[in-house]
Amino acid sequence: MTTAATPPGLVDLTIDGRPVRVPNGTSVFDAARMSGIPIPTLCHLQNETPVGVCRLCLVDAGGRVLSAACVRPCEPGMKVVTASEKVLGARKTVLELLMSDHPTPCARQQHSGDCELETQAKAAGITQPRFAKRSVARGHDDSSLAIAVDHDACILCDRCIRGCDEIKNNFVLGRMGKGYAAGIAFDLNAPMGDSTCISCGECMVSCPTGALTNRGVAGTAIAKTADAQIFDAEELLQIPVFKGVSGTFLELNTGAIVKRRFRAGELICKEGDFGSTAFYLLEGRAQVSISTPIAHVKTDGGAKGFFKKLTSSLVSRTEDKRDDERRDRTIPIDASVDLNYGSPVAELGPGDLFGEMTCMNFYPRSATVRAESDVVAYEMLRNVLDIMLKNKTFRAQIDANYRRRALENHLRGVPMFADLSPDFIAHLKESVELQRYAPGQVIARQGDAADCFYLVRIGFVKISESYPGGELVLAYLSRGDYFGEIGLLGGGVRTATCTALDHVEVVRISGDDFRQMIERFPTVRAGLAAVAEERQQANQQRMQMLHSVPIDQFLSQGLMEAQSLLVLDLENCTRCDACVNACADAHNGVTRLVREGLRFDQFLVATSCRQCRDPLCMVGCPVGSIRRRNSLEVIIEDWCIGCGLCARNCPYGNINLHPFEVIVDDLAHPGRKKAAVKQKATSCDLCTHLKEPSCVYACPHDAAHRVDPKTFFADMIGQASTK
Amino acid sequence: MIFDDLRAIQLRHGFLPRAELEGLSQRTQMPLYQIHSVASFYPHFHLAMPARAEVRVCADMSCHLNGAPELRAELERRFAGSRAEEVQIRDVSCLGRCDIAPAVAINDQIFTEVSADRAEQITRTALRGDALHEDHPAAGRAACASDPYAGDDAIGEKYRVLMDLTQSKAFERVLSELKLSELRGMGGAGFPTSLKWDLVRKEPGTPKYVVCNADESEPGTIKDRFIMTHLPHLLIEGMAIAGLVTGAKTGILYIRHEYHPQEEILGEELRRCYQLGLLGKNILQSGLDFDLQVFVSPGGYICGEETALIEAIEGHRAEPRNKPPFPVAAGLFGKPTVLNNVETFVNVPQILGRGVEWFKAQGQAGSRGWKFVGVSGQVAKPGVFEVPMGTTMREVLFNHAGGIRGGRTLKAFAPSGPSSGYLPASMVDVRLDFKALADAGSMLGSGAIVVCDNTTCMLDMALNAVRFYRNESCGKCVPCRVGSQKMTDLLVRWTQGPLPEPQYRGDLVLLDELSAAMGLASICGLGQIVPAPIQSVLKHFRAEVDAHVLQGQCPSGICHTPAVRAGEANRVGIRP
Repeated sequence: MTTAATPPGLVDLTIDGRPVRVPNGTSVFDAARMSGIPIPTLCHLQNETPVGVCRLCLVDAGGRVLSAACVRPCEPGMKVVTASEKVLGARKTVLELLMSDHPTPCARQQHSGDCELETQAKAAGITQPRFAKRSVARGHDDSSLAIAVDHDACILCDRCIRGCDEIKNNFVLGRMGKGYAAGIAFDLNAPMGDSTCISCGECMVSCPTGALTNRGVAGTAIAKTADAQIFDAEELLQIPVFKGVSGTFLELNTGAIVKRRFRAGELICKEGDFGSTAFYLLEGRAQVSISTPIAHVKTDGGAKGFFKKLTSSLVSRTEDKRDDERRDRTIPIDASVDLNYGSPVAELGPGDLFGEMTCMNFYPRSATVRAESDVVAYEMLRNVLDIMLKNKTFRAQIDANYRRRALENHLRGVPMFADLSPDFIAHLKESVELQRYAPGQVIARQGDAADCFYLVRIGFVKISESYPGGELVLAYLSRGDYFGEIGLLGGGVRTATCTALDHVEVVRISGDDFRQMIERFPTVRAGLAAVAEERQQANQQRMQMLHSVPIDQFLSQGLMEAQSLLVLDLENCTRCDACVNACADAHNGVTRLVREGLRFDQFLVATSCRQCRDPLCMVGCPVGSIRRRNSLEVIIEDWCIGCGLCARNCPYGNINLHPFEVIVDDLAHPGRKKAAVKQKATSCDLCTHLKEPSCVYACPHDAAHRVDPKTFFADMIGQASTK
Repeated sequence: MIFDDLRAIQLRHGFLPRAELEGLSQRTQMPLYQIHSVASFYPHFHLAMPARAEVRVCADMSCHLNGAPELRAELERRFAGSRAEEVQIRDVSCLGRCDIAPAVAINDQIFTEVSADRAEQITRTALRGDALHEDHPAAGRAACASDPYAGDDAIGEKYRVLMDLTQSKAFERVLSELKLSELRGMGGAGFPTSLKWDLVRKEPGTPKYVVCNADESEPGTIKDRFIMTHLPHLLIEGMAIAGLVTGAKTGILYIRHEYHPQEEILGEELRRCYQLGLLGKNILQSGLDFDLQVFVSPGGYICGEETALIEAIEGHRAEPRNKPPFPVAAGLFGKPTVLNNVETFVNVPQILGRGVEWFKAQGQAGSRGWKFVGVSGQVAKPGVFEVPMGTTMREVLFNHAGGIRGGRTLKAFAPSGPSSGYLPASMVDVRLDFKALADAGSMLGSGAIVVCDNTTCMLDMALNAVRFYRNESCGKCVPCRVGSQKMTDLLVRWTQGPLPEPQYRGDLVLLDELSAAMGLASICGLGQIVPAPIQSVLKHFRAEVDAHVLQGQCPSGICHTPAVRAGEANRVGIRP
């Protein structure tokens, strides 16, 4: 049907008699829109995958039945009619059906007069729907603090579902049930407030009716506290950094941002605490610090004897040097500065924002902030911060602060960059780009062309490599880490996929700057190349392991990657728990061994760190102290603040918090000291300082063994094949 | 596969506990909402602990005509004092036992020709916690006139067409013979089979799939159940031929979950085929591969819609897709897919084995081949009959099915379940043929003939049919989801008359507008066909409808009873 004149890749058709030429694959809806022919719709949004369920964009494309224009691709020679009597009649009936069950006027219509269904119905002349009304109401859900759900106003257009899935990647919302009883549901049909919904608001923004509307967040926790000063929208708009923020938005979120005053010496937030707010300093100075002693947990053998007793103690780095220590000399925290390793204290001043990670991603507070002088600050919830960060004025200020204060540290934190000249650093500070990624968004994809280098500013980035039949997580990178050098130095192709795990911001150094840098500073080149090679070797090793050992279960449990495993032979084990007791004896009464775990044949793999393929423990550490060495071993750096997130994240329960009594600065009374209990995360240390782990030593039945997984499983496979 | 996981959980707990679903979500990385949205779609899955005895009385056409409403009312009376966690009595959509009605499912075990006494006794057995064993009518194989291997008992003597084809590899000839035979799809739509196969054969994408739709769920449709019981070898052979011809290496036989005995028969036949090397890799050393597996439907009439069926196999909610693209181009997992009904596949080895000329000679009055029809409702000998295409309806009803039961007379018949609408007795000489029935304003469909005698109320039958569609609508698109409910509401109002004449006239206009919109705007055939039963009743039995609405009288004495009014409240939405 294509006329001779149609160039390849294009399609000629007519819409309402008008000739239209569009690229192949264009929907009838888009083709009509491009030609200035409006087609009404309820379920179609331009940035969401079309689903064709509301049936309002029906057109006559010459078929037996009408087609939904949003999902109907243009075909050569097609003759589309968008407004015949047949089409208009069907559309009107569809609207009348929807209106007969609609609680007119719905919440959206009442609030802002923009219910799309009511607007369209009015335009079609429907005032009194003739069909019977729904006899049993579907109900309301007021459990969420941010969003009100009126199931009776829901027209099942799927816009919220696609917003939640496709745009925000939150995967909370779906259809439930079937037929006339169908509705939307959160998770396993939980009340919205109890679901995994993070109140991002995308569903409510996507909703065409009053089914999902903003409740406003007045009355939430931060507004309730006594000293908080609540603003109305007009006042807020007077403040320079709020210029350009939607007044409607601020109005709807009254109470989600408050002004607070802190006296000199007063605590603003404490490391390790959970929170959901960020602070923006308006006046005054504040001190940010880590108060946990910077020290490793060291476990040593005590008196020599038949049963060796181990004790754990805190040992500072000077006493207990580790090889391969972290290269940088700064501790990344959740503010626009990094802390110096030697003296982890810094100052924040007007214009500084802190608590971004806590607010956006709900990670524990990474540091303690105390008012040095009298301080005035805004405290805000996530929806406000999110909007603020999208606001140009505010954004520019935050970026400038970051460039001025932390970017140099981050750049210098990459060991190879230590030799960069000040003028080049100054150049980079101006030329780099700061980019934001939403959870699940891919920053760089394996196989794509490599054209830039990244430093992580906020959030966690997952580096993974795909292999036939799966995905291997190579690392989780957090603030201060970098990636992208392998592609730039090597073949110009990304060797791994980098995905944002949560709200991520990265510093992007362009390929040109990167190349200029390695040309000007040969040591940088050498350093990066060495690390790149090291990383690649480690990756290859892991891939080889994957290929050589085809035991799915072990791969899926990450056992093959363990350096060392503790296995219990269940045929010999009498479940006497001597191993557990020995472990407790060895570690100040706190056992690090749980006689539970994966079973394989007659062996039970007891819980001890197995260096998982996907080391979940690393996600969320607010100070980046748990990390993986290139040798794959997971280690906990000495500035661990004991918040316990890694212990909660470890799926196998292999990380424990170990309490220590320490003398610390009394924050409430500057200058004084006080006794306190501080926690540090510890994982099974396999009793490194003894010849054998105590559990193995203590087992009276020769059931506990510490094995090298590679040889152990190779033997097992051998046995199995000879059987 | 999500359904396997969900079934395993339900087998352990009797339902799907929240904690198990959360565990499943973690294991499979599937978001919670996705698991819930699938699990809540299919009636087979319970999201809450079911009662000790879940009694479900089939509510659709044939059972409705054979005392199901009375049975349900009686059971409700007998268990009136029971607590909700002990006994739950509810309607269920057609269980595919239309010839042995009424059917009742108790704890998912299906019992047929059930009296109130027997249903009560089985329910009490369930309440005691004893195992139930569903009714399995004796399974001896009936000889079928269309079976080219009739009389060949040894399996090695069957499958000759397939064996020959693996050697000759004359795939183009298969297509040309099917084209000459003018074989059309037997599932209802009647699409030319050779054209469908040829389209898939020419598609460049791989892998390709062959899918058999054995999910017949339309009230009255029982022919595929019969075919799978008696001609499983022809079905398997037909699917394998489709695979070889189109280049598909995988076949999936999608069977409804209420057909346990047929699942076993097919499983047994498949095992033997694999043993003989007729399926699998390198069939009979020909270098050709074709694997065939049975997929048990998670349930619901909508799964019989071809794209909904594909969605179900993919582990999603069975919601029909917008078309185009059609399955021949983008079907299962987006790949080219041959999707045919059981009877269509069975016809293929017949035609190839006995020749096109034989096939053409089988029909009557210009029609071709044989047709399996299920006859149920108020006839003396309900069942499935193999008749030449073109046979008159009179011949089927009065010679094969023994005429009307109990000395009554024929009032109306549905040539193919609710979708075909009802034709009056005066049209009983219509022939079983695609064109003849289309000309009569109906359709050949799947050959599900449901017969109504002179005591039947036709408005009640129209309401029964619309209610079935309302219950089985997937809810994806507005016209069907909301329209089927509003049409039900409207007909309920009519059965509860009388109404002032202007209101009745308004209702008739509204019904026409709604019918037009549903027919034009619904995504799939279900929504498009919802208006058929009431429109056919208005066309052929208008006086009866008028009497209901204007005089407030049901000429058959069925509507307007307090029981009907009370019952309707409980029947809105089949799910609790």
